[in-house]
Amino acid sequence: MNLVALAVGLAFGLAIAGARLHEYDVIHRMLLLQEADVFLLMASAVGVAAPVLLLLRRRSWQTPFGGPLEVARGPVERRNVLGAMVFGTGWAVAGTCPGPAIAMVATGSLPGLFVMAGIVAGATLYGAVARIPRWRPLSVQESAALNLSC
Amino acid sequence: MVSVFPDRLPWFIAGPIIGLCVVALYSLANRRLGVTGSYVQVGAILRDGAASELWRIWLLIGLAGGAALVGLLRGGPSMGLTYGALGLVLPIGVLIPVLFLGGVLIGYGARWSRGCTSGHGISGTSSLSPASLVATGTFMATAVLVTFILHLITGGAL
Repeated sequence: MNLVALAVGLAFGLAIAGARLHEYDVIHRMLLLQEADVFLLMASAVGVAAPVLLLLRRRSWQTPFGGPLEVARGPVERRNVLGAMVFGTGWAVAGTCPGPAIAMVATGSLPGLFVMAGIVAGATLYGAVARIPRWRPLSVQESAALNLSC
Repeated sequence: MVSVFPDRLPWFIAGPIIGLCVVALYSLANRRLGVTGSYVQVGAILRDGAASELWRIWLLIGLAGGAALVGLLRGGPSMGLTYGALGLVLPIGVLIPVLFLGGVLIGYGARWSRGCTSGHGISGTSSLSPASLVATGTFMATAVLVTFILHLITGGAL
């Protein structure tokens, strides 16, 4: 599993830096709709992966290191939309996203380190916030279970 | 410094390579290719001293290695403080906090949304996940809108 991840990471990093997705100007021109390359790149990645994944699922593919193949598919939830709006804002401001930010630093860009630090901080912050349970009054049974009833 | 690597890999080569990365990780390890999870693991190591999903650290190391290799083949890493057009508009003392804040939005938003450009945008759309298709449409539209706003308020400098 770790070796697979390392090999996939190598190819992914090669493609990202190869296509210069780790450069602010490339992503900025994409988001200004001045250049179609990155949109076409993403579409061609999906165009290659989608039919293969469909075929593997149809054949109930057994993965060598992770059991029967289960692709992540979920219904649309509010958080998918709200989180994506926050993510999209950060993507536009920094002109980069999690994978390309690593490629940025790996090719010598020092400011990229601050983007990476921010992503770690933001992701960790979410983990901390999400773990706080929403406040609601406890039912009698719950209070009893928690041994809080006087 | 001699470059032995194309100045820019065309989209029709880099895109399918990334598509095959998604296929490889799914078909061999049954895992969705998403990079934000690697940052979560880095955060866990910094906080608790241990990662619960070690393979995500290996993914990060591989990604950095692949990109560094391209840098070397292009004639060596170019250490520097430049940051494209944004680096020309903002002095370094402003650029750094802006980049950090941008990173916080990226990390927080990606986890809230349950995926980023790789997790939702490429892997999730490849498995035709409704959540990923909607999230991808949302962050694309938001990013384009915010970029156009930045373009307008900087008088076209960005």
